[in-house]
Amino acid sequence: MFHRGVRALAYLLTSLVLGPATFVWAVVTTLVSGVLSFTYLAPPTFLTVTWVTRWIARLERLRAALVLGKAIEAPYPPLPAGNPWVRGRALVREPATWRDLAWLLLLFPLGLAGALSGVVVAVVDLATIVAPVWLWSVPNPYLPPIVDWLFNTTGGRFVLTALGLALAPTAWWLVTGVAGVQARVAAALLEPGPRLRLARRARELASTRRRVVDAQAAELRRIERDLHDGAQARIVAAGMTLALADRKMRLSGQPARDDVSTARRQLDEALAELRRLVRGIHPPILTDRGLAAALAALAGDAPLPVEIHAGDLGEPAPAVESAAYFVTAEALANAVKHAAATTCTITLTREADVLTVEIHDDGRGGADASGSGLDGLRRRVEALDGTITVTSPVGGPTIVHTELPCAL
Amino acid sequence: MRIVIAEDLLLLRDGLVRILTDTGHTVVAAVATAPELEEAVAEHRPDLSIVDVRLPPGFRDEGLRAALAIRRRAPKTPILILSQYVERVYAAELIADGNGAVGYLLKDRVTALDEFLDAIDRVAAGGTAMDPEVVRQLFARNNRDQGVATLTAREREVLGLVAQGLSNSAICAELVLAPASVEKHIGNILAKLELPLADDTHRRVRAVLAYLNH
Repeated sequence: MFHRGVRALAYLLTSLVLGPATFVWAVVTTLVSGVLSFTYLAPPTFLTVTWVTRWIARLERLRAALVLGKAIEAPYPPLPAGNPWVRGRALVREPATWRDLAWLLLLFPLGLAGALSGVVVAVVDLATIVAPVWLWSVPNPYLPPIVDWLFNTTGGRFVLTALGLALAPTAWWLVTGVAGVQARVAAALLEPGPRLRLARRARELASTRRRVVDAQAAELRRIERDLHDGAQARIVAAGMTLALADRKMRLSGQPARDDVSTARRQLDEALAELRRLVRGIHPPILTDRGLAAALAALAGDAPLPVEIHAGDLGEPAPAVESAAYFVTAEALANAVKHAAATTCTITLTREADVLTVEIHDDGRGGADASGSGLDGLRRRVEALDGTITVTSPVGGPTIVHTELPCAL
Repeated sequence: MRIVIAEDLLLLRDGLVRILTDTGHTVVAAVATAPELEEAVAEHRPDLSIVDVRLPPGFRDEGLRAALAIRRRAPKTPILILSQYVERVYAAELIADGNGAVGYLLKDRVTALDEFLDAIDRVAAGGTAMDPEVVRQLFARNNRDQGVATLTAREREVLGLVAQGLSNSAICAELVLAPASVEKHIGNILAKLELPLADDTHRRVRAVLAYLNH
């Protein structure tokens, strides 16, 4: 809390100093570019000037981020390749260029206003608090009676300290408020505009969509392979065994019990194989009973004790439930297979529109977060606009933290 | 008959070995990969090779590719391809060289033991054994064909069996028809499709398959 006040004050003070400088820079360079704009030299000049302006804007973004407590993204799309003339012209058409300049101009008046209100308030309040230390050195006999008592007697000065302390929260509020407003204006101008934000979002969506399609194709291939080598092959084998039994019976007239029971066993295995596959596609209990019950069943099947803490999860969309289920299944499997964990805790919470799943094991850690199993799940989670973070220092513990938005 | 088997799934390889051994054949080699198949065929010169389409290491159509390669080096090497799925394109590639002694069957057909044994005899003797499913796909592709459209239902049935590689006598048995009427049907079919008359079953199959696959 105190730090925030100090940061706000530092922000206002530096704004006061930087404001005139950026103002002069913006005015001069704009004038120079304007004058040169009729000449051949305009694009390269503009390119150079903007390069410097962007460094200043970067600094401004960092300063504002300190006050706002969150990073501010840079808004610059990549420049086209080509000579300085091509690139210079592209910069002129780029809205971010002009928004940067706008802030550099605005910093001067805003910085001045912020300093006048915020810094003065802070300095006066601080001075009041420390009144007993310095006020004796500037005696002033021409003061009205009450003020005279406050200023010129030791007791009065300590009352001033008390007053200053009482007003400190108000001063703190004022200083952080003024700095906050200034930083928010900076952020509004220096972060990506709506057009660029949408373009970025579209790019992001296109790439997650492509990854989803890839993941889905890979998944279908895996299912085809599993069916081909598993259940299908076992059924064919059972058919072969029965064909032989049939032949033996025809030749000898004796029932071929061994072959028949072999065929039965092969069919049982084929069914088990199919059940395993179906469970891997979409566990039936997830459809029947929902996420918490499905995870409880998963925990019950795990070869290590698993504790589940589940709050009220509401009814997330099937895709969300399914992703949460398979993330947990994969994390559990990894905990057993790679981390040699002895216990595992699953925590499920739903806050507003975000379902959070955290799997915590006490294994030896060192998990490869980009491993193939988790990578497929990451695509699945990202497709739902969710995030998955794996923390697994060597020596453990491993924590797989997944957040899935439920409102799409 | 001396037979080489190439099948990667142990379960099915064992099943095939048992069936063939039980029915009086000798399995001289049972291998799991395409390179091993090529080696085994070169070494044993078997009367027949039974090959799974999908083999390691790629698990695509390595078996089929190996079969085609073997037959490029030594034409008329009898090969029966077994698979859990059939693709008309693969059948076309197999019959393209016109040499006969090829078969392409679903693995399920193995369980109809007599027909399967008949099919391996046919392929080993230089004939053809096409899966009914392949023939069905060929017909489906030719459903607008002028020639096929003029055939009667019975003639189509006969054509289907001819395309599978069955001899006249086998067709008689299958459809419970007199030899004379099968011959008459076949004569009509060949005339309507404008295919050359051929007494040789093998050449007739090739002509019919080529027609259906054109």
